[in-house]
Amino acid sequence: MSKDHHNAPESDVALRVKAIEALLTEKGLVDPLALDKLVDTYENKVGPKNGARVVARAWVDPAYKKRLLSNGTAAIAELGISGMQGEDMVVVENTPKVHNLIVCTLCSCYPWPTLGLPPVWYKSAPFRSRAVSDPRSVLKEFGLELDPKVEIRVWDSSAEVRYMVLPERPKGTENMSEPELAGLVTRDSMIGVTNVTLNSNSGSKA
Amino acid sequence: MLKAEFVEEAVKHGGSTKREKRIKPKFKTGQKVRTRNLNPIGHTRLPRYVRGKLGVIHHDHGIFVFPDTNASGLGEKPQHVYSVRFEAKELWGAPGTGGGVIYIDLWDDYLEPALKRAKPKRVRK
Repeated sequence: MSKDHHNAPESDVALRVKAIEALLTEKGLVDPLALDKLVDTYENKVGPKNGARVVARAWVDPAYKKRLLSNGTAAIAELGISGMQGEDMVVVENTPKVHNLIVCTLCSCYPWPTLGLPPVWYKSAPFRSRAVSDPRSVLKEFGLELDPKVEIRVWDSSAEVRYMVLPERPKGTENMSEPELAGLVTRDSMIGVTNVTLNSNSGSKA
Repeated sequence: MLKAEFVEEAVKHGGSTKREKRIKPKFKTGQKVRTRNLNPIGHTRLPRYVRGKLGVIHHDHGIFVFPDTNASGLGEKPQHVYSVRFEAKELWGAPGTGGGVIYIDLWDDYLEPALKRAKPKRVRK
């Protein structure tokens, strides 16, 4: 918490959330302890490291990869990963000819069990509208310039299915172990706004 | 109300809106469809940019609760949900987005079979 906590007024959103929470609690509609547990779960326990384990397993185990692409939910559950906002999963594979990008144009649907909660930009109106209307430029702004021959497939999670990208395994990783490979896999690569590279996880994790 | 002691279970299992029912799909994989031009006042999962557009059924996801009725307390009305493939050109006009395709998950009630239309006659310049 910042030093000026007692001086600076809280943001409108923070105040509104507090007011709504207080009201819901007062009316007996939510259990504040349950809220704390939920926040703790998605802040500290569930996150993109889960998805990275799935990706790394698919890279080293072709049979697993086959199961993952044909029944995402079941294959992900094999690694003990399941739950809310991941009840029905589809995993789409990047290849040299196809690049996949995940978006939810209507709101912010996102595969929580494998990726945690969505980043702020994923929920922003500009990303949501431009991901479907001009994905190539959006990827460029994320630093990913694709060959014009690569087909971009955008997956709009408009219903109850949640999507995740299986990025391409980078060259030069042939001798890496599964945990080492998992260490390379970023959240953004599983949304499809970047690729995995040998140093993709060495920078900051925004 | 979700009690604190049940949070772990709820997080672990979630709550799928998939329904194991025997309901015939209205469309087949590979079939050409047109999205209906629906503009309801209430909740819908048919995004505006894809209304009245031509697409192809890519995959049948199975049967799910229909949010348009469920969100208004009008019942689950379970039906098939399909991944429907749209060419960027169809949605955004030429030149589209440089060869991109968009897949959207849509319920039976949002779709109708694409009507066969007579090809427009060539006009000589």
